[in-house]
Amino acid sequence: MLAALHTEEYGYSLRKTLADHGMEIDEGTLYPLLRRLESQGLLKSQWREHDKRVKRFYRLSPAGKAILAQLIEEWRAIDESLYEIVKEALHAVS
Amino acid sequence: MQLVDRYLQAVRFWLPRGQQDDVIAELSEDICSEIEEKESTLGRSLTAAELEALLKQRGRPMLVANRYFPRKSVIGPALYPAYIFTLKIVLFGYLVPWFLVRVGLYVFDPVYSNSHSILAELARAWGPFWISLFSAVGATTLVFAALEFLETKSKFLENWSPSKLQAVRDHRRIPRVQSTVDLAANLVFIGWWLAYMGSNTIFDRGGVRITLSPVWRAFYFFFLATAAVHIVFAAANLLRAQWTTGRAVAKLVLDLAQAAGLCSLLRVNLLAEIVVPQLAPERAARIVAQINLNMARSLPFLAVGCALAIGLADVGRLFRIRERRSGIVQVAATVAMIAIAAATLLAR
Repeated sequence: MLAALHTEEYGYSLRKTLADHGMEIDEGTLYPLLRRLESQGLLKSQWREHDKRVKRFYRLSPAGKAILAQLIEEWRAIDESLYEIVKEALHAVS
Repeated sequence: MQLVDRYLQAVRFWLPRGQQDDVIAELSEDICSEIEEKESTLGRSLTAAELEALLKQRGRPMLVANRYFPRKSVIGPALYPAYIFTLKIVLFGYLVPWFLVRVGLYVFDPVYSNSHSILAELARAWGPFWISLFSAVGATTLVFAALEFLETKSKFLENWSPSKLQAVRDHRRIPRVQSTVDLAANLVFIGWWLAYMGSNTIFDRGGVRITLSPVWRAFYFFFLATAAVHIVFAAANLLRAQWTTGRAVAKLVLDLAQAAGLCSLLRVNLLAEIVVPQLAPERAARIVAQINLNMARSLPFLAVGCALAIGLADVGRLFRIRERRSGIVQVAATVAMIAIAAATLLAR
């Protein structure tokens, strides 16, 4: 979610972006999550007019950017560990 | 769009008050965007059925609103196992005494049992039973809800030390302290029994005399014998402080025999005469009758309750120290205990 908000998005467009990347998320999960991330100071939001309708736009806050960098590092480490385990398993079964 | 407005109104009702306008504005915008996209794909307006399907897919308004509340539970996962454990103890500690009191009342109160059938008694007890049960469960839940609140504030469950965990228990070991206390208590009991309880007149001083009925002699020797066996038992446990199946079965039989004797004792109109200066014999006779009646009515509840508690502890011990070959013995012991307890209760 944080990674998808490196550019500014409003709720529906964010949902579409995630779905286009194969990550379907229903609005009942998305909006409460956005609110929680905002209350934790990781996102900033702003109501603004767009296509003749008022929409709420979200973007990463500086704290969100720092956490995103940290989470990406952790994810890379986990990914490498999993890859090593899977590689050994592949050798064993092949 | 009336359907959308109705949907948003229903969601608003369940939302936290401070977030209602904000959430509804965002949700409204999301629904409008989705409708717009679908209409542009289809090249026409959505039908009522399609709109209804779209809203239905979003979920029941109450569930949608529920997701905006912080994740809270009355009793969280950390305390839940302890809550269930405590609830079982409370229910067992309540249901068993409740059952005993009801059965005891029916069995030991002749006036009551003659005027009520078992079904009438059950029907009469039904309401109070549920009220008490819900009170017990409610009180337990409230205590754990308060603990959950404290836990979220102080995180007291995180303060623990492995060194304070309970030592590994050896179920076969008999604590020497327990055997010593048993031995001493039974020796004192036998001394007192021989000194003061040998005669039917158990008190005779200053003109006050309490005399027991002739049947007392049989009980006198019975309790003397069981106390003597208890002394032998305690001495054996002191020398060889390990439970064996045979010894555990013997303990069960001994405890139940003693409990059965005590229950019988309380129901045989034990008190024969009370003589007190300046108390008319008729009045004294009425007091004697009343005491006998009260003993028959109320004391067996305690005796039966204690017997069952001790019996269950003895059976529990049998199961804890079980050996593969002793399964039949345990089953027999359990059946025997239940049979003796039922016979004690139902013997009239």
